[in-house]
Amino acid sequence: MAEIRRESILGLDNIRLDLPVAGLGSRSLAAFLDYLGLGVVGFAWIVVSVVLGTQVARGWTPVFVVAGLFLLDWGYFAVQEILGGGRTLGKRLLKLRVVTAEGGTPGAGPLLIRNLVRSLDLFCGPLLMALDPLSRRLGDRLAGTLVVHEREREAAPLLGRVPPGWGARELAVVEAFLARARTLGDPAVAREMAERILLRIRRDAPELLAGLDPGADPVAAVRQALQAEEG
Amino acid sequence: MDYARFVRLRRPVWEAFEAQLADIRDVRGRLRRAGYGTLEDMALRYRQVLHDHALAGARFPGTAAARRLQSLALEGTRRLTGEGRQRPAGLRTFFNRTFPSAFQRQLGLLGIVVALFLLAAVWGLTMAALRPEIGFAFLGPEAIRGLEEGQLWTSSLVTTVPPALSSSGIATNNLTVALTAWSGGVLAGLVPLYVVLLNGLMLGAILGVTLHYSMAGELLRFISAHGMLELTLILVSATAGLSLGRALVAAGDRPRAQAAREAGRDSLAVLLGCLPWFVVLALVEVFVSPSPEVPAGVKLILGLALEGAFLALALRPSQQESSEPAI
Repeated sequence: MAEIRRESILGLDNIRLDLPVAGLGSRSLAAFLDYLGLGVVGFAWIVVSVVLGTQVARGWTPVFVVAGLFLLDWGYFAVQEILGGGRTLGKRLLKLRVVTAEGGTPGAGPLLIRNLVRSLDLFCGPLLMALDPLSRRLGDRLAGTLVVHEREREAAPLLGRVPPGWGARELAVVEAFLARARTLGDPAVAREMAERILLRIRRDAPELLAGLDPGADPVAAVRQALQAEEG
Repeated sequence: MDYARFVRLRRPVWEAFEAQLADIRDVRGRLRRAGYGTLEDMALRYRQVLHDHALAGARFPGTAAARRLQSLALEGTRRLTGEGRQRPAGLRTFFNRTFPSAFQRQLGLLGIVVALFLLAAVWGLTMAALRPEIGFAFLGPEAIRGLEEGQLWTSSLVTTVPPALSSSGIATNNLTVALTAWSGGVLAGLVPLYVVLLNGLMLGAILGVTLHYSMAGELLRFISAHGMLELTLILVSATAGLSLGRALVAAGDRPRAQAAREAGRDSLAVLLGCLPWFVVLALVEVFVSPSPEVPAGVKLILGLALEGAFLALALRPSQQESSEPAI
């Protein structure tokens, strides 16, 4: 699986934060979905205009169509981003969000600016995004914004006990295993991996296994020995 | 500090911060009004989470705690910093403070734009005076035939198209010109320059052609109600776009991105201040300008009043604007 590109920024107290920047591919796909949505909304508006023009205000259909399509053309993206906290329909579906260059929530002004130059970005935006390490198009540069991936909050188990000598690598492997053990397709593989972890625990800290039933499920035994709790 | 101890000691802080973030979220996921105490508490926990994130990233990279702290630090930064948490200023504040002060900061550039426009207009007028057939290029053969018969092409506005449709068409067309002139500013100001020069050239040439057919008076009567403000608004929008281009080309000692951001804020305020007037003007252009029942003097007074109202709003002594962005 391809890694998401991360760009470091300096946050409060000069602490480094890695922003998961959205690249050209995911942004283009989100834009495609948005334009699809725009087409659907535009068509729906034309139908509504015809109905309004025949049932409510006779002869006003062209006026509704002209005014409505103009507003959709210039406001569809901006209004969605302003009301949706930096997300349009396409961005929601792909779990993307517009943030400031510092990782904060942008105000209405920057969101408006980045969308008013969208028509120019249809021509030069993809090239600029491909060349820029932060994947910014013209509108992003002008408004000082970035588009980042939104990730679910980490829910992997946190270990409550750690055998002496275990480093971050071992911890990360065991936590990842415990998080995914239930979803592994073959239970035998899960059991085999748990057995190997138990062997390491027995070697490094046998006292952690004291009181555990030797016949118990090895995955449960690892969880119990390390007092792993759901994050 | 070992990992287990770190998790045991710090986890309550992370969980409390997560709970607070969930608590203050409204249905749209934005910050709800929280009391001072809550915000102070959150700010403290946010700082603790950031420091824990830095420690976990350095000492326990790749662990669940490090990943959890990373996503929590990013979410906290997004939710607690930036401009999105501020309430946008109301219309009153915008037209009282933001728009006038932004407009007045661009007066120098507006002067240059007006001079360029007048130069282009004089050039167009001279060309049309020397070669009246140039009118074909700008107006088309049908309009020229109408001029030969003593009729302006504008009369078709009220005879062939319903007024409501004309006004919406004119409004959207003028708004599109203004928005294009503004957004095209990012191309080093070339698009707004093009809009200014083309409009000047066209106005001069059309005036010259109508002079040739002794219809200039009719034309001036037609545009007297809406023309002044329409041109003003297009020039002001183009000036706003040009200020963006200027910031990009001549950023001075600032990074280009920063210069563009600062210019973008002012120029957006100027553009937004112009947009509502286009709707008013479209109504005037359709219902007043072509109407033979409205005397020429009334049209002129209306045109002057509209221009005066816009300038009075834009040039009013703006109260001290706060450093906070108002839009």
